Amino acid sequence: MARLIRTEKEVEGRYTEQWVVVEEDALDQWPAGPLETVGRDTPRVDGYERARGEAIYTADVQFPGMLHTAVLRSPHARARVKRIDFERALAAPGVRAALGPASGESSGGDAEASGAGAYTPDSSASAPYSSHVLTDEPSFAGAAVAALAADTFAQAADAVRLIDVEWEVLEPLLDADEAVARESLLEEPRRYERGDLERGLGEADVVVEAEYRTQTLLHNALETHQSVCRWEGDTLEVYISTQYIWGVRSGVAKALELPQDKVRVVCNFMGGGFGAKNNAGDYTFIAAELARRTGRPVRCALTRREENMASGNRNATIQRLVAGARADGTLTALGGEFVNAVGWDGFSASTSGPMQLLYACDNVRTVDYGAQLNTSPNAAFRAPGFVEGTFGLECLLDELAAKLDLDPLELRKRNYSDSDLVDGRPFSSKRLLECYRRAEPHWARREEVRARSEAPWRRGVGLASQVWYGGGGPPSYAWVRVGSDGRATVITAMQDIGTGTRTAMAQIAAEELGLPLDRVEVALGDSARGPFASISAGSSTTPSMGPAVRAAAADAARQIVEIAAQRYHLEQRVLSLRGGHVVSADGGSWPLEEVTGLLGSGQILGKGARGPNPAGMRVLTFGIQVAEVAVDVETGEVRVERVAAIHDVGRIINPLGARSQVEGGIIQGIGHTLSEQRLLDPLSGSVLTQTLDAYKLPTIADVPELVTEFVDEPDTHLTNLGAKGLGEPPIIPTAAAIANAIRDATGADVRSLPVTREEMLRALREARERETVAARTS
Amino acid sequence: MRLVRPETPRDAVAALTNGAVALAGGTDLVPLLRDRIVEADALVHVADAVPRGVTSTSTSITRVGAGTTLGELEVDPQVPQALREACALSASPQLRAMGTLGGNLRQATRCWYWRLKFPCYLHGGERCHAKEGEHREHAIFGNERCASAHPSDLAAALLALGATVRTDRRELGVAELYRLPTDDERDVVGLERDELILELDVPAADASTYLKAMDRRKWAFPLVGVAAARVGPSVRVALAGVAPIPWLLDSPAALDDATPLPGTAYKVELARVLVRRALAATG
Ligand SMILES: Cc1cc2nc3c(=O)[nH]c(=O)nc-3n(C[C@H](O)[C@H](O)[C@H](O)COP(=O)(O)OP(=O)(O)OC[C@H]3O[C@@H](n4cnc5c(N)ncnc54)[C@H](O)[C@@H]3O)c2cc1C
Ligand code: SF4
Repeated sequence: MARLIRTEKEVEGRYTEQWVVVEEDALDQWPAGPLETVGRDTPRVDGYERARGEAIYTADVQFPGMLHTAVLRSPHARARVKRIDFERALAAPGVRAALGPASGESSGGDAEASGAGAYTPDSSASAPYSSHVLTDEPSFAGAAVAALAADTFAQAADAVRLIDVEWEVLEPLLDADEAVARESLLEEPRRYERGDLERGLGEADVVVEAEYRTQTLLHNALETHQSVCRWEGDTLEVYISTQYIWGVRSGVAKALELPQDKVRVVCNFMGGGFGAKNNAGDYTFIAAELARRTGRPVRCALTRREENMASGNRNATIQRLVAGARADGTLTALGGEFVNAVGWDGFSASTSGPMQLLYACDNVRTVDYGAQLNTSPNAAFRAPGFVEGTFGLECLLDELAAKLDLDPLELRKRNYSDSDLVDGRPFSSKRLLECYRRAEPHWARREEVRARSEAPWRRGVGLASQVWYGGGGPPSYAWVRVGSDGRATVITAMQDIGTGTRTAMAQIAAEELGLPLDRVEVALGDSARGPFASISAGSSTTPSMGPAVRAAAADAARQIVEIAAQRYHLEQRVLSLRGGHVVSADGGSWPLEEVTGLLGSGQILGKGARGPNPAGMRVLTFGIQVAEVAVDVETGEVRVERVAAIHDVGRIINPLGARSQVEGGIIQGIGHTLSEQRLLDPLSGSVLTQTLDAYKLPTIADVPELVTEFVDEPDTHLTNLGAKGLGEPPIIPTAAAIANAIRDATGADVRSLPVTREEMLRALREARERETVAARTS
Repeated sequence: MRLVRPETPRDAVAALTNGAVALAGGTDLVPLLRDRIVEADALVHVADAVPRGVTSTSTSITRVGAGTTLGELEVDPQVPQALREACALSASPQLRAMGTLGGNLRQATRCWYWRLKFPCYLHGGERCHAKEGEHREHAIFGNERCASAHPSDLAAALLALGATVRTDRRELGVAELYRLPTDDERDVVGLERDELILELDVPAADASTYLKAMDRRKWAFPLVGVAAARVGPSVRVALAGVAPIPWLLDSPAALDDATPLPGTAYKVELARVLVRRALAATG
């Protein structure tokens, strides 16, 4: 029965209360361990399609008569448009229409006729163009101000330079600490306290205090943000590179005041998002409006430069932290002031989350500030807040371990927490101790690793632990259709953002239907062709969609068994589906297509829904990583030589895909730790690192030996699968593990990311000075 | 935009009229055209007009055509080690397959302000935005007006090796190819607008090496690059990434005279270590 419940919905650590309709999850979980298809290494079902270039990404979508867009973005971090004049731009070859930051009508043809070339914000009479995502008061460099559609992208890009703008340039606010002091905040400071921090510090034998800083990072997904909009009658079709088909659908419908079913959103293949593609984005609204005005399909695709200026980022943080512990390592106090340099808009992520959740500490006080600055809005980026907060917390813990003269792994074990101390709920499952146990052989390598130090290289090992969400939740739906040929199709309007969920869903359906994988298709990526499906963010796709797909497959399987029982005069309970056959307990076996063949062109349709999350429990993911590094103590070069990752995310559906998620997370984490940083001109607020030669992602040469392990035990409380998400956990502990390995190797405290040559050399110098002082005093 | 493909140096020079620009592998020029930092109405593709390949004119001189790619240079045993290593540590395999020696020597600065067309000193303006702003990749020498850091690994290696450049009209040392920008002349390359680099003569060294510090293991410009070449008892050391032009270092002690910016002080430290190591390696 459908049940209406009021539930807490969590995406990336942000909770909202909402109504959801859930259906009871009647299926028992499968036994743990590898099954026929689930739990076994499975190459991507769409691998060949992708490798051969047959997969159609949004960047490949072409329609006859399609126009291309170029966007005029503010070169200033804070400015006012005093006058904007489109006359020269509209006269340029190929230009069909323009949009500017006010209301009015125009297109290329009649613009000149109506004389509507020039426009000042206050004389809206002559204002020719408008879209709500365009602004005449840009508050960050890269804010969209105007847009043009032309026959080719080159024409549009040429013409955009001909839009004449008179700017009034204003002083930008760029410093996060200054923003907090001036109370330029996006939301009220978020305060959390349990116990009494001062008392906890009083009880401590040892106290450490440190300030950590993390940099602004850019997602740089391979496919830039983009969409193609096309009006078919009164329906708007949006082809978009997105992590959330349904979010785009409702966002566009709301903004354009359309019924939701008049918006169709399509995303078949996607070149990555990492959290920055959860919404429609300015480009979609620009394309939709220009398509409406011109009657043509319109593409609006960000260039790499625009991508790096204005499509979201992981914001910088400043973390002032304190920890106190008894001599035996028991934590008595954890405190932190977290300044999130959010940008002009966006959200203040839960940078304090790890400090609240990871350890059993009775006295914890945190405050998060979301500084509003004249920089581009942040966007979720693979475990937003927790990546940053874990760097601070887990480095602090190692500094504490050093002061206590305690083994860092032992310190973590001693502060293991059995239940969620934030809200007193038990965990649905937590196998972090098992992760710690499995980390031991990797951790035990450190004597041998250190011994391999050979001047000028010093080697060391560091570890860091991880906590994150990733339980997913309702609502999420799927259908499974089985045809008379005995083949199945999973239908659901979800998206595979490149993580391999298409393959995981095929495996789940194949397992339940007892079919070989090559007899299961997955049809996804189209809001008009399948039921509502979850966002692909917050490590929620597999735990949200997987149970719905399994339920749908089970519904289809039940119908098949019912039909077979009638056809072969057997009891349903002796029948099951296996190896593409209906088999009976007494050894009878009929090919599936023999049963479904009875239907002719008819089909069996199974329906499934994601059941509720376990009531009163906290669903979290855990893990630990152990990094080995070599540091050239003369040049400050840091080489990561090995990272071992052990994660607990419940049941693993596809170990091959899961390992690739972990490897990708660690590699991205290495970039975050060593080389990536968005640089701004401190005076103008312009983004200086707009291209990939300047914004330094790690290359394959920077990738160390990677060892991946999973606890791989189903969470018995969570859905019919017992599987949690894995998109985000693997990037969370990497930076801290590397920084701790650097300290182990050199004695230097790196507290600021990225660990560039200058930061490493500074930390080494500081460590040397500390040693000299210590030598002198002793 | 027109594309012409002359077959001789003479035709190429003739084609390099006002508004025409020489195109070799295009790895630097094409992005600059796309970003409209370089404006051209004709591209003169010099691939067939400029010598390509490596020959030894004597046991002591290797002659290298300006059209030789970095990829070809890095594997040619006739090429002195410092130059081979400089090539191998440059860019990426794809870029080295396209990029030529001539183009490498003339490549433009990577200064982000310059590439974003801030109206800075090197672009003919008054200020150096990098000095007042973000400059961690910038210079520690010769940075009084413009603090850009010369990006070419090859130029430093050639400077240390004492190579000479033959153009369509003259011969000059690699050191003469470059000059610090002045109020009258902002271009750091001392060639005429239509002058083509044809060949380089690279003297053999008894020992030579190239060391490079970068932000990641591959595919990054030098934070500091150090080339050292020894002939008999005398060693010449040249640096990349430390000044607006490739920088000859008279002696390790000359690093004491560096004029780092607040954000480039670490480069002095890096240079000290790499110079010491390069000298040790060339014995
Ligand atoms: C991402 C990236 C990373 C890089 N990393 C490095 C690095 O680490 N180290 C390094 O040293 N370099 C590096 N480079 C630079 C690269 O090596 C040069 O772009 C390349 O060598 C230029 O050669 P080209 O043939 O492509 O020149 P083009 O791009 O065709 O031309 C460059 C310039 O040289 C002029 N020119 C070309 N040939 C001649 C000639 N014969 N005579 C006179 N003028 C000529 C052109 O007019 C133009 O002004 C990198 C480049 C990129 C894009
Ligand atoms: S370093 Fe040179 S190129 Fe860069 S901003 Fe200064 S003057 Fe311009």
